[in-house]
Amino acid sequence: MKKITRRAISVLLIMALVLFGVGVYVVRLLEYGDSWALYFSRLNSGSSGVLHDRNGELLAEFSRNGSFYAEDALTRKACFHILGDYEGRTGSGLIPAFTEGIKDYSIFTGTTHSQDYEFNLTLDAALNRAAYEAIGEDREGAVLVCNYRTGEILCIVSAPSTDPLFYDPDPPAGTYINKCLNATFVPGSVFKLVTSAAAIETVSNIWDRQFFCEGEGEIAGVKIACVDPHWTTNFRTALSNSCNYAFAQIAVTVGQDNMKRYVKEYGFTDKHELNGITTAAGNFETAYMGDPELAWAGIGQWTDLICPYSLLRYVCAIANGGTLIEPYIIEGTETQSVQLMNPSTADTLRDMMRFNVTDHYGEDRFPGLAMCGKSGTAEVGDGTNNSWFTGFLDDEEHPYAFVVLIEKGGYGLADAGSVANTVMYTAVRK
Amino acid sequence: MDFFDYMLVLSKYALIIFSLIVIERALRSMLSEKYDDEIWAYVRSGKERVPVCHWENLIGRSPSADIRVYAPGISGVHAVLCRNDKGQWKIYDVFSRGGVWINQLQAGYGGAPVRDGDVINLAGTRLTFIELEGEKIGKLEKKRSVAGSRVFPAVTLVWLTLFQSTLLMQLLMSCEPDYSGRISLAFVSVIVLQWLCFTAMRMINKSGFELETLAFFMTSIGISVAASSTPEDMYKHSILVIASVFLFILFGWWLRNLKRASSMRVPFAMIAGVLLALNLFAGNSIFGAKNWLTIAGYSFQPSEFVKVFYIYVGASTLERLYMRQNLYAFVGFSALCVTALAFMGDFGSALVFFVCFLVISFMRSGSIATVVLSISSAVIAGLMAVSARPYVAQRFATWGHAWEDVFDKGYQQVRTMSAAAAGGLFGKGAGSGWLQSIVAANTDMVFGVVSEELGLLIALSAVLAIAAIAVFAVRSARHCRSAFYSIAACASVTIMLAQMALNILGSMDILPFTGVTFPFLSRGGSSLISCWMLLAYIKGSDNRREASFVVRNAENYTRPEDPRLKDEGVSRDPKPAEVKKA
Repeated sequence: MKKITRRAISVLLIMALVLFGVGVYVVRLLEYGDSWALYFSRLNSGSSGVLHDRNGELLAEFSRNGSFYAEDALTRKACFHILGDYEGRTGSGLIPAFTEGIKDYSIFTGTTHSQDYEFNLTLDAALNRAAYEAIGEDREGAVLVCNYRTGEILCIVSAPSTDPLFYDPDPPAGTYINKCLNATFVPGSVFKLVTSAAAIETVSNIWDRQFFCEGEGEIAGVKIACVDPHWTTNFRTALSNSCNYAFAQIAVTVGQDNMKRYVKEYGFTDKHELNGITTAAGNFETAYMGDPELAWAGIGQWTDLICPYSLLRYVCAIANGGTLIEPYIIEGTETQSVQLMNPSTADTLRDMMRFNVTDHYGEDRFPGLAMCGKSGTAEVGDGTNNSWFTGFLDDEEHPYAFVVLIEKGGYGLADAGSVANTVMYTAVRK
Repeated sequence: MDFFDYMLVLSKYALIIFSLIVIERALRSMLSEKYDDEIWAYVRSGKERVPVCHWENLIGRSPSADIRVYAPGISGVHAVLCRNDKGQWKIYDVFSRGGVWINQLQAGYGGAPVRDGDVINLAGTRLTFIELEGEKIGKLEKKRSVAGSRVFPAVTLVWLTLFQSTLLMQLLMSCEPDYSGRISLAFVSVIVLQWLCFTAMRMINKSGFELETLAFFMTSIGISVAASSTPEDMYKHSILVIASVFLFILFGWWLRNLKRASSMRVPFAMIAGVLLALNLFAGNSIFGAKNWLTIAGYSFQPSEFVKVFYIYVGASTLERLYMRQNLYAFVGFSALCVTALAFMGDFGSALVFFVCFLVISFMRSGSIATVVLSISSAVIAGLMAVSARPYVAQRFATWGHAWEDVFDKGYQQVRTMSAAAAGGLFGKGAGSGWLQSIVAANTDMVFGVVSEELGLLIALSAVLAIAAIAVFAVRSARHCRSAFYSIAACASVTIMLAQMALNILGSMDILPFTGVTFPFLSRGGSSLISCWMLLAYIKGSDNRREASFVVRNAENYTRPEDPRLKDEGVSRDPKPAEVKKA
């Protein structure tokens, strides 16, 4: 018997191997447990969430029983970027931002149950759909609409978009980026609004200045081109005509220190936060610039880059008399107001933007809307243009500010302007 | 936090405390209690008297002989002295050089009966055989320590009942009201069952209850998993638990009689073969492996039952082992089983059988060469299987890379890992996990479900329970009456260990995912029943005094009538030889 039973030691050997394997598991659990647990954090925390738009339309719902989106494909596509997806293919979006909140883990407690969410968004899904359709399937761009009196975001659309229910393994470039919040673009002429504000505040004789443009001009020997000759303009008509040469001179007069200060002050080079989503910071040359570079930077070229969201904040502040009500997208968010610029500067800019429409763009482009705006056509550098239109309605019943960006081709007024008209028309009609 | 939350948190800690107490008490009882050998007879050489402690004793010069005899002419392995259920002794010459004589008559390879006072002549060395009568054996028995005298099994069972009640409370807090009745019934029936078992054992004076306690402990965790994942099936599950315990007792009773047990080897081998053949030709496929058989509406996995038969065929009494030194028949049978399983695509079970084969063949032959040869031929066969079956190759390709394909190939592993990690040490509460809703979570990924819902500590205590059973089986194996019980017990725990390892490490991406059940925990009738039947083998090895119902009390055996008692002149040779108790 002894001879046989001594060999039973082989069982202990196997047991030792098994326990060693279990030990390996425990060590790996201690090392990687947090990333394992957080990978399915929505499931692991047991949290659930429901997101409605401002009219009670269901946009997304998640719980242990599954993850759901809106029922129709157009809404899913139009709201894809602001909502994000459950699989984490988009880095930003409200769904990932919410699940961020339930990432509490320790080896002792595991993941802890956080609260269940039921949110109404300030977003208007119908407006999102209208904006998404206005951009169209074959164009790329972004549309942002915000109530400048309350800070409620009404519309956030980025294109190209995708249907989160049907995963496209080879999507067009930029599909998974929310261009409203997480990308920066060459601003072009819409940046003249910033240069204008700086000029109003720092150049005492700005209203007396006259500019002469023959279609192009020189700053320190470097040619600055305009689309058309604008002949004689003053500060106001230089903005409405978007005269590059005039604004080149204004920028040089303002000086680079002032330009840098105002760009920073107005929040163009900072990151902002929209209910847990961090936005992209823009760029303005911080190194010393010669006059030609400063001139180009003053008209939104050179190394200028802005995030559409920071431009929205800026026009909101102008529309609201210099006080920015920080935008938000979840109903019930405590509003914060920021004195972004002097009330008088804001009022002046508002008048000038209204003048842009009445004097230059033509009110018939925006029938029935008290439109104040500024267009822009930015040269990207690869031969294509970013066409911009930003502004707001000077209308107490419909206090909406907006930013429209159409990438790759087109002209500010013709392309972005007409999208802006469609979106604003939809917003007002409701 | 409301009242319910406090209760849940409190119950989580209570659950861990109860489970640790149960495991600790069972372990302490199994490992610290004295394990005295039984004494069945003596062999006297001159003044020296050596006890015969088993029913199968190896006599020889070898240091691992049970009765060690140093004398010229004695082979390392010389003879095997055996006793049967009726108390009749026989001695077998196991191919010794010097031969064996009983009272001058040569004992052949077929064995010769030995009776009280007979002189056993081993190549000239004479030993006197002294048989003990029932009364004397009983007296000697009284000196042995009784199982369960240090750590009272009833108290352990009370702690286990507390554990089960807490588990039930957690489930009732989380389950749908419709199912609370069925879940309660399952727990109440297991609690009643374990106390009934215990009472019945006490009534027949059996006090070793650690194995059953640990098995009931794990079965309860299994009930919790079932209640969480398939609450609608709880009636069926309760019946399965009752059936398992019933079959455990039935099979244990069958094993009580060594002759009856060991004579059924060939029929059992045939049943196993038929089951596998039926499975191969009439089986259906669920989740990739064609290892299910449906008879009259009931689906079961034949391979689970074949495990029980396989051990039965593999285990062997000592004399048989030495009389037939080759392993060919067993190797052939093993190869048949493993090949059949591989053909079904059940590579997990094939691997479990293979590990079991290694242990049995090593215990039988003691040959490292056999083990090395087996492993290398298995590796070659495995490679062939991998190349022949693309889905096996794919599992190997996924192994260690589960996180790279979260939605397809690593689907089960990453979810198991994530949910297990999310449970932390104390779990989310029974019935409050999500992993259970995934296909096969309550069988192949059960370790993850337990980790998520009951916490890592409870999951590890299930590992500890299996390890405790394994250590106990190895410890008991030394004191068995027959090698049949020793080998069967060791083979049983090997199967449990191998399944546990494949289940945990496979679902955690440390080994390839093969889809093997965790003993006692995984949901599924075939698995549960086979585990309880395997437990009967281990129960058969528990030779402490009055411990196991599978082992008959020594004092109950009376010495059979010696037909020669009327005869005169049984010669006793006084010639001394050096005899030592090994």
